[in-house]
Amino acid sequence: MSMDEDIGEKGGDSILVAEYVLGLLDTGAAEALERRFRTEPELVRGVQFWRSRFALLDSEFEDVPAPPGILAAIEGRLYGNTRPTAFGGWWNNLAVWRGLAAASLAVAVVAVGFNLLRPVPLAPEEFATQLVAALQAQEGSGVEFVALYDSRQGAVRLVSVSGQSVPDRDYELWAIEGEAAPVSVGIVAIEGRSQMPIPPAVGSAFGEGTVLAVTIEPKGGSPSGAPTGPIVAMGPATSI
Amino acid sequence: MPAASQDIADLIARTALKDRTAFRTLYDRTSAKLFGVTLRILKDRAEAEEALQEVYVKVWQRADRYTAGHFSPISWLVAIARNHALDILRARRPRAEDIDQALDIADRDLNPEQYTLARDERGRIELCLSQLEPDRALAVRGAYLDGFSYEELARRHAVNLNTMRTWLRRSLLKLRECLTQ
Repeated sequence: MSMDEDIGEKGGDSILVAEYVLGLLDTGAAEALERRFRTEPELVRGVQFWRSRFALLDSEFEDVPAPPGILAAIEGRLYGNTRPTAFGGWWNNLAVWRGLAAASLAVAVVAVGFNLLRPVPLAPEEFATQLVAALQAQEGSGVEFVALYDSRQGAVRLVSVSGQSVPDRDYELWAIEGEAAPVSVGIVAIEGRSQMPIPPAVGSAFGEGTVLAVTIEPKGGSPSGAPTGPIVAMGPATSI
Repeated sequence: MPAASQDIADLIARTALKDRTAFRTLYDRTSAKLFGVTLRILKDRAEAEEALQEVYVKVWQRADRYTAGHFSPISWLVAIARNHALDILRARRPRAEDIDQALDIADRDLNPEQYTLARDERGRIELCLSQLEPDRALAVRGAYLDGFSYEELARRHAVNLNTMRTWLRRSLLKLRECLTQ
């Protein structure tokens, strides 16, 4: 007894449609079936019958949190060509920087940055408190910095490891102590290095565990003194 | 429609209007589910991540085709993710075909009332699967949830290809009878 006789003609089509919905048909058979959809509404109903029934198994797909950066990459793909407008606000800024730096980059920032930043070898007696922070890209921005802080100089040096400049926008560095509001450290260059004094508002609290974050801000920095744009890179300071 | 489901439907509707904030919220609410789908079918994290991006690009582009009522919104999203993952598997196999295209046609031709399922039907597929022989029910699940081909199913169940085809087709016939009772 052949399969077709076994199932019968109507059943045969329904089973064919079920195989189609499951993705079991080979290319030729699937395409042949698809060509019949326009003229045979029964087949389309069959597709929906099986899709809706099998969809009852969807709860068996277990949730797996998507890694960070995926959404930014999607938005980069979708809105990558968007230009900022004068009244654009957060989303347009986001679109721009994400469009420019969509891919998440894994960079060995500490190793690279440390060597780049270290101005000259220091004699042991010259060691003051030194901190290094690897500012990792957030949400796939592709922007990475390494920061080095020397208490004797009271200054943070920052070097960009990856990332691109954004038209009409500046990158701004913030120091964050615990739950306190971020304090602006200054505008940072995306190409090359920046050096800036730690502001008095951060002062002595600056140390191990201080989080450094870089946001995208309007030209000249956040007008309000608080971050307004998305965080593109962030990392905690660590003693070295 | 349950409240959570209604929320997802609203987010899809707003995404259709190119509301980026809604799209972001939709992603936040559904990406774990859809990543679960692409990861289970593709069984490769990097591929599943790439697929997830492509899935949400499709969601953005096709949100206007979602018709409230005929499919639960999360199932609609799962179907996009599952079909996309299957397309990738086929490209890998290689026997390319784009099942998505045809399903779009099917979507457009659909009468929205037809596939709103009563809540008590939720357990029905389980009931009907449980009436199959266990290994055959497992094969049906493997085809749906893991995207296994006949060849993979045959290998996994250590039977030849024709035997697997016969098993599965008969199982689908029984399922259909059970589901339409």
